[in-house]
Amino acid sequence: MAAPNVDRQLVLHVAKLACLSLSDSEVDRFTSELGRIVSYIEQLDALDTRDVAPTATVAVDRAPERPDEVAPGVSREEVLAQAPEVEGEGFAVPAFVE
Amino acid sequence: MYTDWDVRRIADQVQRGEATAESVTAASLARIETVDKMVHAFLHVAADEALDQARAVDKKRARGEPLGALAGVPIAIKDALVTRGVPTTAASKMLAGYVPPYDATAVARLRAADAVLIGKTNMDEFAMGSSTENSAFGPTRNPRDPARTPGGSSGGSAAAVAGAMAPCSLGSDTGGSIRQPASFTGTVGIKPTYGRVSRYGLIAFASSLDQVGPFATDVRGAARVLSVIAGHDPRDSTCLDAPVGDYETACGRSVQGVRVGVPNEYFAEGLDPEVEASVRAALSTLSKAGCLIRPVSLPHTRFAVGTYYVIATAEASSNLARFDGVRYGLRTLGDSGKRDLRTLYGATRDAGFGAEVKRRILLGTFVLSSGYYDAYYLKAQKVRTLIRRDFEEALREVDVICSPASPTPAFRLGEKNDDPLAMYLNDVYTLPASLAGLPAMSVPCRPTASGLPVGLQIMGRSLDEGTMLAVASTFEALRASD
Repeated sequence: MAAPNVDRQLVLHVAKLACLSLSDSEVDRFTSELGRIVSYIEQLDALDTRDVAPTATVAVDRAPERPDEVAPGVSREEVLAQAPEVEGEGFAVPAFVE
Repeated sequence: MYTDWDVRRIADQVQRGEATAESVTAASLARIETVDKMVHAFLHVAADEALDQARAVDKKRARGEPLGALAGVPIAIKDALVTRGVPTTAASKMLAGYVPPYDATAVARLRAADAVLIGKTNMDEFAMGSSTENSAFGPTRNPRDPARTPGGSSGGSAAAVAGAMAPCSLGSDTGGSIRQPASFTGTVGIKPTYGRVSRYGLIAFASSLDQVGPFATDVRGAARVLSVIAGHDPRDSTCLDAPVGDYETACGRSVQGVRVGVPNEYFAEGLDPEVEASVRAALSTLSKAGCLIRPVSLPHTRFAVGTYYVIATAEASSNLARFDGVRYGLRTLGDSGKRDLRTLYGATRDAGFGAEVKRRILLGTFVLSSGYYDAYYLKAQKVRTLIRRDFEEALREVDVICSPASPTPAFRLGEKNDDPLAMYLNDVYTLPASLAGLPAMSVPCRPTASGLPVGLQIMGRSLDEGTMLAVASTFEALRASD
């Protein structure tokens, strides 16, 4: 694999994808730490995995699906009681359509 | 005051009426009051609720109703498991003040077995760490040596048992978060087979790896807790419907002729000589008990740390997307003056997550991002297959595999804080069984000369917790008579 250069620009790009507003000092710190971790991970490159199937999870073939039946869940009142801001019968969010 | 912290003995005495659940609970709470100022195993002590539960158990007995397998047994719960009506934070500022409206399945099963939930234990934030120092609410200290960490991420659950505040507790293990703290604190800790225990209500870190499991003062006590929490749950689509074994009876099985594999890759550079000597002495004890000790090879072991930190962080970056300041927990718009949704997300997540959580979200987002997915995430999933195959081949030749649970005894608080990679490398012996989804546990073996606990890790075949427990229990009995 082409080893990426973990620089501030890459960290800012990834932070934006992850919805994290980082301070300048955080960007500096994570740039250097992630650079070291990513170069450690590059050791996986030494293995030839062309004919190897990926493992996403193990043993779920033994986990049956449940019947699709409606059952009572947690009440709206109990759920909304934990929300930081409520409007009417729902969660309140800032405007997101201009 | 009641001080006999043995899961089975407490349950037996409460069932027979020789001790009340209330007196046992009161003793547990009193011990927490004395010891936990120094240890800080608990984020929340549910004293009133615990005493109410204990009195309800005593009343049930007074009415002549049969009591459950954990009658009156105080149990501490890792704060990653949601508990109805009891604050649950995953040791994150993001969830400070959150009071879940439901119980995790494992918690509900403990209640149904008449256990008494005494409180919520400290952990690395969102279970990300190996020392409990990443808690947003301050670290936990190791009751065996307060200058040292109890390990992590389930450090509070391990310390609660090691500090005799409870005879047992629940933790969660994604890459060693039960086994390593068990090893550091001289307690028994079990990570069951992936899918053996429901993850419903476990605040998700890495969904293909997370498992709930018990800590206890002894192997049979841990086995009893496991038998209560294990089993199919329609609310977790990865929870297996295989029958639950009688784990406590399995502890009494003979280990004559059981083949114990010893992987030379686990006795490599970086292993503390005292830990190695202790584990080798344990193997010699098992050999005297009739086990057949065999060398095995797990050649991809050295790739486990890299593989794990790609897969676990990728899954974490996705799981932690739910913390956005809308439905629960922290919400802030920051001080930029902007008031749009994107600002709410970014400011909330920056204020709510600690440094290690941000580091892992960034790494996980990076390995999943366009242009890097194949090279990192897909590659790691393929190496995970190679690591699984190592175990499949080895476990054709042997019945269990034994190793140290951690390359060193408990390290000092602050010792590895400045070097995330060094902290990750500490997990080298516990990560492979997690990646392979296999059951694994830590049982105390001979301490170091200075008295620090050392853990023997025993790994078994998928769903064969029984053989693993038989070996652990046999070793525990012989160690006591040494």
